[in-house]
Amino acid sequence: MPDHSGVSGGGPRATDGHVVRAILAGDTERYAELVTRYRDRYARYAARMLGSADAAEDAVQDAFVRAYDQLAQCRDPDNFVGWFFLILRNRCFAERRRSKDTAPLEAAGAVAAAERAEVPVEMAERRRALQHALLELTPEQREVFVLKHVEGLSYGEIAERLNTSVPSLKMRMHRAYDRLREQLRDRA
Amino acid sequence: MTDFHPQVKQLLDGEVTLADLPPELRAEGEEALRLLAAVDREPVTFPALDTRVIEELRRRRSKAPSLWRRLVAPREVRLRVRPWTLVPALAMAAALVVLLSRPESTPAAATVTVRFVLFAPEAQEVALAGTFNQWDQAATPLVRTGAPGVWSATLTLPVGQHQYAFVVDGARWVADPGAPAVDDGFGRRNSVLSL
Amino acid sequence: MKTFGAALLLALVAGSLAAQQDVTARLAGRVSPDIAALVQQLATSAAERGLPVDPLIQKAIEGSAKGVPADRVATALRALSGQLDAAAAALVQAGGAQPDTDAIAAGAFALNAGLDKQNVTALALAGRPANNVAATLRVASTLAAMGVPADEVVELVTQVIASGGSTHEVLGLPAQVMAGVSRGRGVTPAQAAAGLARAAAARAGAPGQNKPKGKP
Repeated sequence: MPDHSGVSGGGPRATDGHVVRAILAGDTERYAELVTRYRDRYARYAARMLGSADAAEDAVQDAFVRAYDQLAQCRDPDNFVGWFFLILRNRCFAERRRSKDTAPLEAAGAVAAAERAEVPVEMAERRRALQHALLELTPEQREVFVLKHVEGLSYGEIAERLNTSVPSLKMRMHRAYDRLREQLRDRA
Repeated sequence: MTDFHPQVKQLLDGEVTLADLPPELRAEGEEALRLLAAVDREPVTFPALDTRVIEELRRRRSKAPSLWRRLVAPREVRLRVRPWTLVPALAMAAALVVLLSRPESTPAAATVTVRFVLFAPEAQEVALAGTFNQWDQAATPLVRTGAPGVWSATLTLPVGQHQYAFVVDGARWVADPGAPAVDDGFGRRNSVLSL
Repeated sequence: MKTFGAALLLALVAGSLAAQQDVTARLAGRVSPDIAALVQQLATSAAERGLPVDPLIQKAIEGSAKGVPADRVATALRALSGQLDAAAAALVQAGGAQPDTDAIAAGAFALNAGLDKQNVTALALAGRPANNVAATLRVASTLAAMGVPADEVVELVTQVIASGGSTHEVLGLPAQVMAGVSRGRGVTPAQAAAGLARAAAARAGAPGQNKPKGKP
């Protein structure tokens, strides 16, 4: 029989589920813990999906606010981050396609990085070109590319997260490869 | 002509290497790898974002005070209320054990947060004692909530079965009228909480 | 033969000494010396019979915390000891190897909650092999404590398990009965339980119900 000595304390790090339940119990200030914990987890995903770090920050902020509003509907509090990802994903998909006017801003950012000698100019330019090409894909194609080649997930992991099959993901990805090639050739 | 050869797509997927490609596909393979090399994998951080989120939520909460109550969706709360009187002088009624969540799966380390509530308007102090705190009434005092006569305490308990009772003014042991009860072996009743 | 016997005796003594130290530590400062001595005695005997010791310790601490007179605590401890024995016997009836202490403790709790030895045996039989016997018994105890008659408890729990119910579903039964009571006007726990049992039976009988449980 388990030993029930004493009331359980905070311990090392409270699980997501523990924090979510505490928030739903009324300790709403604790939502800050979840935000801090996952603030940057999908930042890169959002940035590559939207083509801009600023747009990504807005999207992640919106997603956190929405997740707070809907927290009672989180079915698996121990997997808050998985649920949060889906909220962010919806937000990224709903984002209106950025106009071509943002291209100069991104180019400026890329050039600035090169000037700081962080990235060779040629590489910065190639990155910018690929990011633009990515934005020409459908959100679904862009997403599978980002999850595999930016976030480094396997097809199996992506399939589980998006609740779809590996073959359909591969089909999507292979179309993405072809369209990217086409886009990059046009720009070259 | 613009489509990558299927084998080059396998290369892109990481299922084969450049060396695996036949000579006539090498050039296309190298083009494909240059494409992947252009992928921006730089980490992205938003150092100011948590502050912004919390400020946004506080701003909205001050505008609409009921927002946080909406957060606690009614269907998450199970109330068991049965009016009950101990003695006329104390007139305690409607102890509520509010179960705030049920774990969907039951791994070994699962816990559940539970709020215990007792309506005891005449009491000077109320404590919670049970198997989870060695029946030590000093361990878990209830606190007065905003509502008059209502005392509560919130605990995180391991999944499993627990027995408990409220202790009013350090002397009177009262089972939770809203909860299942069992004989405690001493002529009184303990309440049972199954998580 | 003699050395073997001596070694066995030494092992028993060493084992019970360790157990006694554990009991002493848990009771220190919480119960009177008389109660502590009684718990030691009952615990040693219980341990030798493969019974759990923890419920005895818990009950002694509870009695002392509640300010119950020592003789009353003693009576309760002996009664609990008897319940542990009875529960173990009921579980043995259900077959299988030496019942685990968790199941025995749960069985004793079930007896205390108003179920009888036959009920415990029936629940233990239903609770094997996939489901957790201890958890099944604890759910049954909770249902009995809610006022569901013992026979209805056994019917409901065994029916749910027989119709393929997962441990998770079994654990959710008290909440479901409670929901049934609060939803309907004048619905007793017995009626709510009976309704759930009928639903489970119907599920079991309906075609195409043999879906595997758990995540795909």
